Amino acid sequence: MFTANTTLMLVATFLPVLGALVLLLVPKDQRRIFEIGSLLVMIASLLLSLPFWFGYDRASDAVQWFQAWTWIPALGVKFSVGMDGISLLLWLLTTFIGPIAIACSFKSIEERHKEYYIWMLVLQTAMLGVFITQDMFLFYLFWEVMLVPMYFLIGIWGGPQKLYAAIKLFLYTLAGSVLMLVAILAIYFLQHKATGSYNFSLESFQQMAPIIAQQSKTYQHLMALAFFIGFAIKVPMFPFHTWLPDAHVQAPTAGSVILAAILLKMGTYGFVRFLLPILPGATKDLMPWFIGLSLIGIIYGALVAMIQKDMKKLVAYSSVSHLGLCMLGLFALNPYGIKGGLFQMINHGISTSGLFLAVGIVYERRHTRMIADFGGLSKSMPIYATIFMIMTMSSIGLPLLNGFIGEGMILMGAFQSFPIYAVVATLGIILGAAYMLWMFQRVMFGPITAVNEKMEDLNLREILYFAPLVAAAFWIGLYPKPLMDVMDAPVRKLVEQVNPGFHAAEALAAKQAAAARLGMRGMAAPAAHHEPAPAGHGAAPAGHQAPAAPHAAPAHGGGH
Amino acid sequence: MNGFAQGLLSALLRDTHLIAPQLFLMVVATLMLWPGDLFFNRNEKHKWAPITLVILAITAFLVSRTADGEGFSRMFRNDGLTRGFQMLCVAASAGTVLLSTRLLDSLKQQTVEYYALILFSLAGMLFLCGASDLISVYFSIELMAICIYILVAYLRDRATSVEAGMKYFLLGAFSSGILVYGISLLYGAAGGTTTNLADLNQALALTPANSNLLVYAGVLMVLVGMAFKVAAVPFHMWSPDAYEGAPTPITAFMATAPKAAALAAFLRVFGAGFHGVSSDWVLPLTYIAGASMILGNVAAVRQESMKRLLAYSSIAHVGYMLLGVLSGDPMAGAQAVWLYMLIYIVMNTGAFAVVIYLQGKGEGERIEDFKGLGRKHPVLAFAMMIFLLSLAGIPPLVGFFGKFYLFKLAIEQGYVTLTVIALLTSAVSAYYYLGVVNQMYFKAPEGEAAPHGRRPGLHRHPCLHPGAGRHGLRALAAGLGGENLLGLVLSGGSVLRTHPQTPAQKPGRPGFALLRAGSPP
Repeated sequence: MFTANTTLMLVATFLPVLGALVLLLVPKDQRRIFEIGSLLVMIASLLLSLPFWFGYDRASDAVQWFQAWTWIPALGVKFSVGMDGISLLLWLLTTFIGPIAIACSFKSIEERHKEYYIWMLVLQTAMLGVFITQDMFLFYLFWEVMLVPMYFLIGIWGGPQKLYAAIKLFLYTLAGSVLMLVAILAIYFLQHKATGSYNFSLESFQQMAPIIAQQSKTYQHLMALAFFIGFAIKVPMFPFHTWLPDAHVQAPTAGSVILAAILLKMGTYGFVRFLLPILPGATKDLMPWFIGLSLIGIIYGALVAMIQKDMKKLVAYSSVSHLGLCMLGLFALNPYGIKGGLFQMINHGISTSGLFLAVGIVYERRHTRMIADFGGLSKSMPIYATIFMIMTMSSIGLPLLNGFIGEGMILMGAFQSFPIYAVVATLGIILGAAYMLWMFQRVMFGPITAVNEKMEDLNLREILYFAPLVAAAFWIGLYPKPLMDVMDAPVRKLVEQVNPGFHAAEALAAKQAAAARLGMRGMAAPAAHHEPAPAGHGAAPAGHQAPAAPHAAPAHGGGH
Repeated sequence: MNGFAQGLLSALLRDTHLIAPQLFLMVVATLMLWPGDLFFNRNEKHKWAPITLVILAITAFLVSRTADGEGFSRMFRNDGLTRGFQMLCVAASAGTVLLSTRLLDSLKQQTVEYYALILFSLAGMLFLCGASDLISVYFSIELMAICIYILVAYLRDRATSVEAGMKYFLLGAFSSGILVYGISLLYGAAGGTTTNLADLNQALALTPANSNLLVYAGVLMVLVGMAFKVAAVPFHMWSPDAYEGAPTPITAFMATAPKAAALAAFLRVFGAGFHGVSSDWVLPLTYIAGASMILGNVAAVRQESMKRLLAYSSIAHVGYMLLGVLSGDPMAGAQAVWLYMLIYIVMNTGAFAVVIYLQGKGEGERIEDFKGLGRKHPVLAFAMMIFLLSLAGIPPLVGFFGKFYLFKLAIEQGYVTLTVIALLTSAVSAYYYLGVVNQMYFKAPEGEAAPHGRRPGLHRHPCLHPGAGRHGLRALAAGLGGENLLGLVLSGGSVLRTHPQTPAQKPGRPGFALLRAGSPP
């Protein structure tokens, strides 16, 4: 019954909104029903999404479980859905974060429960929809729809400056996405001119890449900039990041978690899915600017995070820094960089939502988030301190935890493409370790005050919603191969789209390196005549396989 | 002489069916004034509202049954464009009548004249939608506008209402003067033989070089006069004051029906009449459209009065719709404007319904009055939110589809800068629309009145409250079923396309034949 197919995918995606419709009928003083009901809906959606992890064909780079229904034929809009490895991972991350976001709200949401849980469920469907859609028009719809629930979540249940933060979030994102809409329409008409048909499907847009490449440079650059600004606001990249600290600080804990874990990923997802494959030429032209902004984001985010007095704001700025790193990886345009960037998206989703949850815990108990108000918490809250530490370590990229893998791959990719920038990025990572550890030290160690001494440690519910995050952090840190396998084929395809001939050149380089080794060995021992054959035989597939098996990377990296 | 009279009579009889709805409206409205009004005593005047609705329903039926054709010395033309916009005007008038009854009841201002004026004005609009001669454009505009001047000043014991009427009248008269002067210049430039749009189009193209300035001035003056009527920047100054001072249902009326009619005229005059001299007006109109979007939206941000906010936002919406006029493809432009207008009328009428509902309690004038509406009246607030977000064009609400279709067209026609302005300003519009949503949902109601507290019978008028909710659900449903709506317009034929025209009338401009005021083949 639960085999991965399109129907099940749609059910898992739209289940939250169906749940919201049912909850709409419940009278509004039934707080428990809303809490448990929405949690159950989210868990059901998560369970329904699991078969896709197992059913995904890792060898293929095609969009799987693809299906399209006619929707607005006159415009060429189709309701088409499907996932490849990249969307699958983010889609699963969304269903994974959903129950956690609900579970962490039970105590912190004190009023208007009905609306809150309904908006959360609507938001969930909108976010899941963004990742499964294979049609530009539908993508834009989901992308915009997502804003409304988020606006209400921040605006009603947020902090003291909630109105300002909510409307800032809304307007920034809206301004970016309307620019994106212009670019989408421009390509749509170009496509009509080139092929004579109106079509909004993602695939047809990606196939436009060679035709776009023949247009004038100005046209290409304007298109790329429109997409870039739309996505960069969402990511957010410097200098479009100013909405983020406000939104994060004012949002309720669950809002921050979703914002950090999923919403920001839509920006990076947009880059991977749209900007890179549709406009590779213009992207490469503007690359110095994009990389520059990423680097500024990394360093600036880290420096600003360091001086924050508010824990939530610190974590928010650390997001700016981490996503800058993520963008740097994507812009390296080689398999390591892109995979690392994708990895970092997942990791950031796990560790930053963990940190926001942790901040939410102390805020619930003390109604303050100022670092100066805390100290010595490790004495009164040992379990909390342990989890906080794991999340901190995962955020700064300690080996064995998830962050390490992503950062390592990004830096590898960046070194391959632009070594100097990679060095600068390393500086950001060092700064990252500094501000996170410094915060941890000030909050957890040192003398403890009387108020902090009475703080209760985590209860069972809280441990339960941290547990999956901790487990995921260790799992990815210790055994990242399953994740790598899922993104392997799609990334390969993407690199081929952006850098045609990249893999062929790389395979050739590997072969030449192997040949050179053989040659040298041949010089050292000219007598061994029959040895080259098996070795050469072995080298060729290894060269082929190298991008597909990154854990063998160091050996391969030495090859060229 | 006798032969001439006979010929005239037979021509009149032949063409009368084209204007059956207008004739019906004029006759019935006259009969309403006398002797109809004698049958109702002072306390029974509110019965005119349902009667007016029935009349409007019959008018809509008549509009749908009128045949294509041209008549009255080619002064009036009935085609898909005419009927499509006529329907919008009738629908907007019906909305106004629905909104009016309760307010007039509570003010004890029910009179037959109010309804008769709406009907007379509507007759003017129906003429305007089909006017294919500059002269008929002019007198239709006057018939429409003079009735509205009176309606704006209808609450004659209120200073603001009278002031608004006065202002509107003076500026309106002034703009009419400019319009008619422009017409006379064009008449002269074209050789003093015709004001018919189709003939003018050809005549203007053939004018000698030394009268270029004459044509230019004439076209610009007509543009200015029309821009006054639709309240496009910089000829919008009258509109916020008039909107604020007028009785609220009349504000809703002014924001919808006359704009629909005037845009129809815009499409016909500039799409058909001045097509040949488009180089004269495209650039000014581009600036007018851009300025309307920018100023309308930016000024709306700073408003504290709900009616002024809607007034400024309607300036911006007109700016968006002018994109459709600019389109080099008049048929597609007319369709896009029609769709946008339809959505705009529904959403705007809905928003005004909520304002009037609150006004019944002495609130609703100011944006602050919406504070906590989400808790006091959840259904009403939800409907209002849907209207506002739809006006802002947030998907998946139907307003998004209206904007999408219009902007798509504009990009297709190469107005990329203008479209970018339109999109960015529509992001600005989200700010002030959301400001109202903020008040409704994020602020506690003043004095925290119990939600089930006082609810006097007066305020539960059957037409308003549930009606608003229905409108809201319809907006949502229409958005989700966007296909149907767009299908309606695109196949669109059914609404806007005329009888099969020979596309060869002007080679290289398919679709142009639609709006061409020339004779049917």
